[in-house]
Amino acid sequence: MNYNLQKKLVIFGFLFIPVGLLMLFLLYPTLKLFQFSLTDWNGISESFSYVGLKNYVMAFRTEGVWDALSNNLLYFIMHLVFIPIEIMVAVLLNQKLRASHFFRSIVFMPYILNGVAVAYIFSYLYNPINGPLNALLGAAGLEGLIQSWLSDPNVVNYSLVAVSLWRFSGFHVILFLAGLQSVPQDLYEAATIDGANGWHKFRFITVPGIRRVIEIVLFLNVRGALQVFDIPFLMTQGGPGTSSSTFTVYTIQAAFKYNNYGLASSLAVMLMLMIIAFSMVQSKLLGGKGDE
Amino acid sequence: MIRRMSSRVPVYLFFILISAIVLFPVLISVFTAFKTGPELMKSSPLALPESWQFGNLITAFKTGNMLVGFRNTAVLVVVSVILNTVLGSMTSYILNRFDFRVKKLIMAMFMVAMVIPFYTTEVSRFQIIKSLGLYDTIFAPLLIYAGTDLLQIFIFLQFIEKISSQLDESAMIDGASYLTIYRKIIFPLLLPASATLAIIKAVDIMNDMYIPYLYMPSKELHTLSTALMTFVGQRSSDFGQLSAAIVIVLIPTIVIYLLLQKYIFAGIAEGAVKG
Repeated sequence: MNYNLQKKLVIFGFLFIPVGLLMLFLLYPTLKLFQFSLTDWNGISESFSYVGLKNYVMAFRTEGVWDALSNNLLYFIMHLVFIPIEIMVAVLLNQKLRASHFFRSIVFMPYILNGVAVAYIFSYLYNPINGPLNALLGAAGLEGLIQSWLSDPNVVNYSLVAVSLWRFSGFHVILFLAGLQSVPQDLYEAATIDGANGWHKFRFITVPGIRRVIEIVLFLNVRGALQVFDIPFLMTQGGPGTSSSTFTVYTIQAAFKYNNYGLASSLAVMLMLMIIAFSMVQSKLLGGKGDE
Repeated sequence: MIRRMSSRVPVYLFFILISAIVLFPVLISVFTAFKTGPELMKSSPLALPESWQFGNLITAFKTGNMLVGFRNTAVLVVVSVILNTVLGSMTSYILNRFDFRVKKLIMAMFMVAMVIPFYTTEVSRFQIIKSLGLYDTIFAPLLIYAGTDLLQIFIFLQFIEKISSQLDESAMIDGASYLTIYRKIIFPLLLPASATLAIIKAVDIMNDMYIPYLYMPSKELHTLSTALMTFVGQRSSDFGQLSAAIVIVLIPTIVIYLLLQKYIFAGIAEGAVKG
């Protein structure tokens, strides 16, 4: 067969299924979201009518949406605060430490564990009656810190954020560690000869060396914090009230629990716009500080 | 020498503290899984079991639909990882070796897919799955997991770039077709990269909860995650059996982690540093 015809065949044949799946299961549903967001569809009936931007206006006016979004913010802030600690742990793991491989395995383990199992482990840990966490606080003489971890509206979101930190911080540590290991060792040796101290080496070799990984983690944090779902969905269903709901939990419940597909679709569209906007702002901020 | 050792002590203490924070929740669940009902009522939740009882584990395994969960999770993981690897490497081969009119458009589509939110898209994808007759079949998650994405394509592209196109050309002189070049040259040389990506993908699928929950509600289609959700929904106050079910679901990922750690770390490093 001549290679020109073959080229056309192989391009079409190889791309047909992957691009078809991409369009059918990702791009088309996204277009559909835009369409549904302009309707009053309940997800069941055959017909629906277009209501303009009513769903968007409604989303802005719904208090639950804002509550949920402020809960997302706490995930974002706490994971942000943990980034310096994660870098420190990675730096320590990168030293020639006895058992550093063992500690590395432990640090990363929570990320690998089944997310459903992790959520239920913590549900048990936070149990108010004879729960392990309260028992531990009691044993340590810290009775004053005992809380209704999952039923007090002022505490519950912090309890869930703690689960998220437990689960994902180790993953970030491993990403930073991978970045550290790609920094050439001779840079440090040269700096030592030039009389640089530990802080200088960290500030002028390590941080620039893992800049890319820091950017990746920040990007993952924005996307992850905006889309928190598993932990509240499994542990509290967003409750009590909306005190531990997140934007995604609220959206999913609007669609599948309250059959308000129009509102849910408009929320999904807004979430996508937020992800794009925040990612762009972040890359602008980081780009501006660079050496370029 | 001694001064060096002693300066390390705080570092070790710090890591022991981290290890305790990581292991405490898991170990408590293991202890609880081995305790009997009366023992749970009277003893501290922090205490070791008086004697290691397997009753909870046996009950959870039998009534928790765990065998079905293992089977469906295994089928989902194996089939979708293979499909995903083949489709991803085919796409990357075409994108690297050929120039054609809609190439930029296709890359742009994969880029758009990167910003599509994970869960909220199910609101409309659910309708599409239903209208295709895929609802409550194993094909719904299979087709969703099988699709390739930008990250996988980027990593494959870096590896394909390193495969000299002279190899392709000399194969063509021998009369090999493009299909043969992909099968005999590209795919085998991509296998090391595929292995690490496949392990990460497998862990993701094994731990996924919402797609099987939404698209495969039938009992005989439960995965480990959804079997656990159902079991917990039925007996949310029996912490012995609940912990036993949790431990059973944790075992496969822990075994895989212990066996394949090296590749998992390599895969993550690959994605983070070069990706």
